[in-house]
Amino acid sequence: MNRFFLDLHALQTVPPSNLNRDDTGAPKTAVYGGTPRARVSSQAWKRAIRTYFRDQHLLDESELGVRTKKIVELLADRIHGLDTSLAGAEALRIADQTVQATGLKTEVPKRKADQAKDGEPEPAPEAKYLVFLSARQLDGLARLAVEGAGDIAGFFRDKKNKARAKEIADSRHSVDIALFGRMVADVADIGVDAAVQVAHAISVHRAETEADYFTAVDDENRDEETGAGMIGTVDFNSATLYRYAALGIHQLSANLGQGLREDEPRTEPVRRAVEAFVHSFISSLPTGKINTFGHHTLPDAVIVTLRTSRPVSFVSAFEDPVRSESSGHVREACERLAAYVPDIERAYGEGDAAPTWVLRVGPNTQKLAGLGTEADSLGALVTAVGQAVADRLDKPA
Amino acid sequence: MSTSPTSVLALLLAGPLQAWGAASRFSRRTTESAPTKSGVIGLLAAAAGIARDDDAALAVLAALRFGVRIDQPGTRIRDFHKAMHPVTGKTMPLTERFYLADAVFVAAVEGDHALLERLDAALRSPVYPPFLGRRSCPPATRVDLGLHRDAVLEDVLRTVAWQASPWYRRRHHHPETGQLTVLREKQPGEDTPADTLCDQPLSYSPAQRRHALRSVVTDRVRPPRESAHHDPFDAFSEDDDL
Repeated sequence: MNRFFLDLHALQTVPPSNLNRDDTGAPKTAVYGGTPRARVSSQAWKRAIRTYFRDQHLLDESELGVRTKKIVELLADRIHGLDTSLAGAEALRIADQTVQATGLKTEVPKRKADQAKDGEPEPAPEAKYLVFLSARQLDGLARLAVEGAGDIAGFFRDKKNKARAKEIADSRHSVDIALFGRMVADVADIGVDAAVQVAHAISVHRAETEADYFTAVDDENRDEETGAGMIGTVDFNSATLYRYAALGIHQLSANLGQGLREDEPRTEPVRRAVEAFVHSFISSLPTGKINTFGHHTLPDAVIVTLRTSRPVSFVSAFEDPVRSESSGHVREACERLAAYVPDIERAYGEGDAAPTWVLRVGPNTQKLAGLGTEADSLGALVTAVGQAVADRLDKPA
Repeated sequence: MSTSPTSVLALLLAGPLQAWGAASRFSRRTTESAPTKSGVIGLLAAAAGIARDDDAALAVLAALRFGVRIDQPGTRIRDFHKAMHPVTGKTMPLTERFYLADAVFVAAVEGDHALLERLDAALRSPVYPPFLGRRSCPPATRVDLGLHRDAVLEDVLRTVAWQASPWYRRRHHHPETGQLTVLREKQPGEDTPADTLCDQPLSYSPAQRRHALRSVVTDRVRPPRESAHHDPFDAFSEDDDL
């Protein structure tokens, strides 16, 4: 099939903040080009992206999934929703058998089993691993369970029914599983490899962690010597971050499958997923200590490229750290990219054959204007990228 | 022992972060100080689009002789990682992940020329994009560093120019006196003292990932400096006040 990748790059400035901290409470760091940098882990930003497109309803609820061990309880709820006569322990038993028919192992956690000895109701079995299932998969399994509810064990002894359970668990993956992957350690055939690769964000400049010493006054303290109610320190840094992600459109397409509805183009699920991802990548923000620092920023500049060869990170442009101490880092970072990108595209890229879009804010980003088609809003960028992806998918291989 | 000429494919592995685990289990994800054979063969297999459970196709790649040169060792950083349960909001077990920051390696595989030619092409147009040991570590540069026809692994790792970053070269002013460490597999029939590492890939199948022990010989080499590199502004480096 056609191979192609979507590269997303963003320059984003955050004021004093602590988006992603280590076990000492300090912001995460890395060394690059021999100098210390601020770092935000890929996991933290991926979580922010997932949370964003759920919270902003960028996709229909039925297109999304949950990651949980409590799959038996979730399924029992849905079974009860379909057939109210199936409830409580009975619904749990049917759900458990159905989950096991997909090939997943379940067990009652030992700790809970011990608690239950004191006359409490039997706790629900749980999957041994976190399982990532879409709402549509859960609905499909619930319908299958209700169909076989009369004699659930006998129902799944029939190989055909067992195969149906496996098939439901292996199709109609939710968009976030298709994007970010799923690891189910003991059932290889329902594992999904992530289509997206998110790099750790690092500052384009040298960044040191600083400590804010604070005291808090006790408002109700009427003593003459008031003193402080508490004292402490909060670590923080501020940074202009280079953020990068690569999305394998062909992988995403394979993970998602084709359109499920007759009345929409077959490329629709991929287009919707790409649009949701691009939108969320740009707009999302890890919320670590956000109420302390209020670091609600958006990228100053975004570059998106659709390639048929290999993904290309531009992080090397910042290996030599940006040094402009007095006028911020955005202008020089943009100048670096404006010089670096045409250079690397000429040497290894596809040159003008790779459609590129630029979304940028303010005069500091002026130099990036020539790198691609300028989008005047996030919405316009998302639509243009989604449309280009759908057009490419429609082209014969 | 085969006498037919073999070729060598060289790879450049450089990026802000890399992580090459050989013995990671449970919640402590460590990294070796150099790329593992499993990690590099996995990168090639991914580029070529070999499925995770295709052990037969993997065996062809895993039979390539492997070596790696440490051009810029980097520093080890520890990443503390917390996951929250998306439904209950409870904290999942804490994990520690180790990364190599700021490292540069030259890896090489030796074997059949036609196979290496296919892999070289795959690196330039991969099915699954390459990453440096962990998916969140994309390479900062191109990965393909040249296919050497009728070559021997040891020679390539001795003659490929030193790939360290300009800032690193500036700080290590006398690389000619210094040598680089090469970790390579034994030649057939060679009798050299060797370490063992459990990174010979047998299967990447998620259900049963398997590795075998492999012998690793440590050499010291003195590669040429990149002659073409001449930056007049090196003399005005601001590095000293960093």
